[in-house]
Amino acid sequence: MGNILAYIETQDEVCKRSSLEALTRGRQIAEQRGDRLVAVVLSPEPERYVAQIARYGASTIFMVRHSLFANHLNTPVLAALEEAARRAAPDLLVFPSSESVKEILGALSIRLDGSVLPDVAAFEQTETGAEALRPVLAAKFLARVRAEHKPVLVSVRSGAYSAEEHPVEAQAEEIPFDFDPATLKQTLREIRAPQVGTVDVSEARIVIAAGRGVRDERGKQLIEELADTLGAAIGSSRAVVESGLFPASSQIGQTGKVVAPDLYIAVGISGAIQHVAGMAGSRVIVAINKDADAPIFRMATYGIVGDLYDIIPRLIDQLKNG
Amino acid sequence: MKFVVCIKQVPDVASPIQLSGERIVTDTGRLVLNAYDASAVEEALVLTEKYGGEVHVVLAGPATATETIRKALAMGAESATHLKIDGELDSRGYAEILAAHLRAESFDVLACGKQAQDTDAGLTGSMLAELLSLPYAGNAVGLDIVNDRLIVTRQGDGGQEIIELPTPCLVTCSNDMNDPRIPNLKGIMQAKRKNIQVVEVEEPTGPPATTIRRFEPMPEREPGRILDGEPADVVARLVSLLKTEAKVL
Repeated sequence: MGNILAYIETQDEVCKRSSLEALTRGRQIAEQRGDRLVAVVLSPEPERYVAQIARYGASTIFMVRHSLFANHLNTPVLAALEEAARRAAPDLLVFPSSESVKEILGALSIRLDGSVLPDVAAFEQTETGAEALRPVLAAKFLARVRAEHKPVLVSVRSGAYSAEEHPVEAQAEEIPFDFDPATLKQTLREIRAPQVGTVDVSEARIVIAAGRGVRDERGKQLIEELADTLGAAIGSSRAVVESGLFPASSQIGQTGKVVAPDLYIAVGISGAIQHVAGMAGSRVIVAINKDADAPIFRMATYGIVGDLYDIIPRLIDQLKNG
Repeated sequence: MKFVVCIKQVPDVASPIQLSGERIVTDTGRLVLNAYDASAVEEALVLTEKYGGEVHVVLAGPATATETIRKALAMGAESATHLKIDGELDSRGYAEILAAHLRAESFDVLACGKQAQDTDAGLTGSMLAELLSLPYAGNAVGLDIVNDRLIVTRQGDGGQEIIELPTPCLVTCSNDMNDPRIPNLKGIMQAKRKNIQVVEVEEPTGPPATTIRRFEPMPEREPGRILDGEPADVVARLVSLLKTEAKVL
């Protein structure tokens, strides 16, 4: 019997869905092997998340408390995860593949002298380590990669697994963590967040994504109204981030975020490989584009060839009034 | 400031790449400078042009990667080091080789692409920072220098974080931060005379921590359908299909 350590990220009082998905995969593997599933949460108030984590099956919850965890800064996150890993002595560590995790995963693997399988679409534990499927070369191919040096650190792409509830009696343990902010070499000077209240695109079940066909403020308003109607998050292609219509935090693709929602509505998006690399795992894809030859139609579950400025208002009306 | 930029040669992801059995066959004529590394080179050039300093590039790769080094020199880097290796390494292998070389080098800023387009692993940068005990920031979309400190705008999960780093430090760069310059003829001619220091490198002994066992095609999506007809009718059918067939609404 070994230990599996799952890292839980939080936002706006809840555990992020991507973390619960990775935790669920960790729980499935722990069950198969009779391992203990330990979750670790870093927060100024970690106890807020204990009940939710227990609902997803972690029997032990490490709470690491520090005011610095209100924002992401790599040094304290690394120190806390190193400490949690020393205590849990896991064979396997699972992470959501978020920007915060991408920043620290390599460094943490060196500290723990482990091997890493980053940004995986699926993985299994093996006798000697773990084996994963990773999209590579702009998600044109899958590489089957084996890590044979324990502990193995695995980060899981958003949507690769579903988060499943599996309530257990959990033991919450506070891990002493006296990180001195005066030792920090780097300073976080400012955070420029997009407007508050917007749904994080990598957490949403429905994503409305805007591409080059969305040319102006009017088009942007249509996208926002459609997203409001469906309770969806707004994503974008590189073109409309560069044009300044949409924030960089919404960009989906090889460079931006990887999403795999239940429903992805691509509006005015042609489907360049760099964009597809970030959304190909979506369950249902709807494409709306003027150009019948746009590559996005080859992967769309449902396609509509038409002008988004005509189609979207009708779609909003249909959804509101049936 | 002195910038050292770590670069890698990768297959051009826009070129035809085929699967032959379990291996990837890339057209060897289409090996290019990793796009994220090109952005790191560009940003280092922009900052040294503005504030003074120099840009040096380091590449760990096979003999055939010289062409990629010349590309970075043609963009404007002053000199280069080629850490010559034969086989393919995993992220840890590259990080160890680069760290072993860079320990003896002096620099203010060590810049890398945030990931390489062939593996999209994105590990080498932070591994290198850890091996060299450097403060670092990842996924930079903007860089500046103020009072000898590096100001990094990094794209985080929720928004952009502005981080101030002392030097020496490491930063990994997104390709969203600039459009790398295309070398002009003068740059290409000058690059031929620039110095490339070649170092034969001992590859790490022992088995690599991770190995690619095989490549597989992406699973095909179920063929979809185009909804034809009048816009009003098409939209009504779409909503109905999303509710009753796909069951996502």
